[in-house]
Amino acid sequence: MSETTLRLDRVGPVATVTLDRPDRGNAISMTMVRELEQLCARLEDEAAETVLVIRGAGGTFCSGIDLLDFPPEAKPDIRGFSRWEKACRTIERLPMVTIAAIDGECAGGGLQLALTCDARVATEGASFQLHEVRDGFLPGMGTFRLAKFIGLGRARFMAMTGRRVTAGEAFELGIVDRVCPAAGLDAAVGATIAAFGEIHRDAVELTRRLFDESFEIPYEDFLGCFLAAQHRAIQSEAFKALVREAHERGVPRPRR
Amino acid sequence: MTRAPVPPRILAVGTSHPPRAYTQDDLVRLFRCEDPKVRQFFESSHIQRRHLVLPEPDADGVMPDEDGGALLAKHLRVSLEIGREAVERCLEANRRTAVEVDFFATTTSTGFLCPGLTAYLIEALGMRSSVHRADIVGMGCNAGMNGLLTVASFAAANPGRAALLLACEVCSAAYVFELTARAGVVNSLFGDGAAAVLVVADERLTAADGPAVLGFESHIVHAARDEMRFDFENGRFSFYLGWEIPYLIGEHIRTPVLRLLDRFGLKRRDISHWVVHSGGKKVVDAIKYNLGLTEHDVRHTRSVLRDFGNISSASILFSLEKLTRERIAGEGDYGVVIAMGPGVSIETGLLRW
Repeated sequence: MSETTLRLDRVGPVATVTLDRPDRGNAISMTMVRELEQLCARLEDEAAETVLVIRGAGGTFCSGIDLLDFPPEAKPDIRGFSRWEKACRTIERLPMVTIAAIDGECAGGGLQLALTCDARVATEGASFQLHEVRDGFLPGMGTFRLAKFIGLGRARFMAMTGRRVTAGEAFELGIVDRVCPAAGLDAAVGATIAAFGEIHRDAVELTRRLFDESFEIPYEDFLGCFLAAQHRAIQSEAFKALVREAHERGVPRPRR
Repeated sequence: MTRAPVPPRILAVGTSHPPRAYTQDDLVRLFRCEDPKVRQFFESSHIQRRHLVLPEPDADGVMPDEDGGALLAKHLRVSLEIGREAVERCLEANRRTAVEVDFFATTTSTGFLCPGLTAYLIEALGMRSSVHRADIVGMGCNAGMNGLLTVASFAAANPGRAALLLACEVCSAAYVFELTARAGVVNSLFGDGAAAVLVVADERLTAADGPAVLGFESHIVHAARDEMRFDFENGRFSFYLGWEIPYLIGEHIRTPVLRLLDRFGLKRRDISHWVVHSGGKKVVDAIKYNLGLTEHDVRHTRSVLRDFGNISSASILFSLEKLTRERIAGEGDYGVVIAMGPGVSIETGLLRW
């Protein structure tokens, strides 16, 4: 597979995908969306890594959707947005820990992409923005995701004013989990990966999904979802080993 | 050069149900149920209403008891009504008549008849006396798939000839309707309905005519054989459903589904449509989380459960009818059908539009 908009580096348990259109601020084109989907499918099928890091080339994370992808004369088509959201959903369903490593601009669809991840690590100089409302269209499914991270009021203000938020502010708001110096992004990503410890694919995927659904489903229904998911998790070899070990040691909790 | 075999296609679906629908509240009131635990089953079942055939309460408002003979008679009477209507609707949707049917199979687990249902319906519907037939009795909720495998196999082996499957379940005749703690789950779950599908293999047919049935995979979990069963007590049946069943099915669901997909070189993401048996809220959750399905994937499963309850072997065909009516399945789309039931049995099939 030859990516033209993405670069994939695979080192041990970590797959790093770099949005690689630096001359266009790593803007999201339909080619990039398609390639991102293919890449996710490949990572899922091969199941070689447990961590996916998403970053941008050339000191920018991602400037949003590529307006040059819309032919100037033709009637704008909604299907591209649908395809893009499908790619975001695919990332959210990956049985891997996902980390956005953000340097420079993280705007529009780029912020959306960062929000699909389990963790966001940003350099001090990074900035976050949903500029779409000011430009006269909508911040994708950012309207769906951002409020879950930072609350309805802050999300609405941020989206409707299109205000640019610094990395420090984004940390305070809850958009970013870790801020590092400009030269320290690799180290901060490494530390973040280490923070996840041993990674169990099913547990990661199911937990992310349940958190996602916790906003949408009433308690009684959610309880059923949780029980179904937990039943799957406790059938795993990892859980069985945990129980065996606890019995061997005669200690009720796992070794930490 | 040998030509690839022509796959059988599902050309039409027809459904029917008894006219009277009861909400869960109606039933709790009608049977004067006071037990809070049983009421809980009814309230949390995710079923709004079910079509049932129940006797009228007597002058004192008490529901009369139905004995085994009365239940059997009800099974036959209602089956002839809803079974006939489902078949007629199915044939009409494909502009065919009953005399054109070459093979007729039925599935039911809600009443034992000899001669079987086909013997009554062939006459009532005016099918030819030379029609081949098979009555599949007592296989439970998964039987819709066992029936589909049967008619699809006939169709594949006899190109151009019409095979018809009728899944006919009168759950209100299967066992005594009572609202005791043991019977509570069961009586809060099942509903009456019948669904028919027409299957033909013909090289002139295309995706526009209906989905091709490409193959099946079955999986039986012996360890749980007694966890879903009919008991015979005091001259009548009662149905027992173990609490662990939904989880067991969740645990094993990937085995036949992945085997099916592997056989055709497919991944889960290649499947655009999922037709899952409306077994109950818990089992649908279990399948959802073990196969990574979305709420959208199980929308018809949920809506059939909400509006009809668990209609046993007919459930998947009700969901298939809803999917067909949406007209969203495009040429080349794949669909997986999943039904589960006693055995414990998981039956799967692959469709392609």
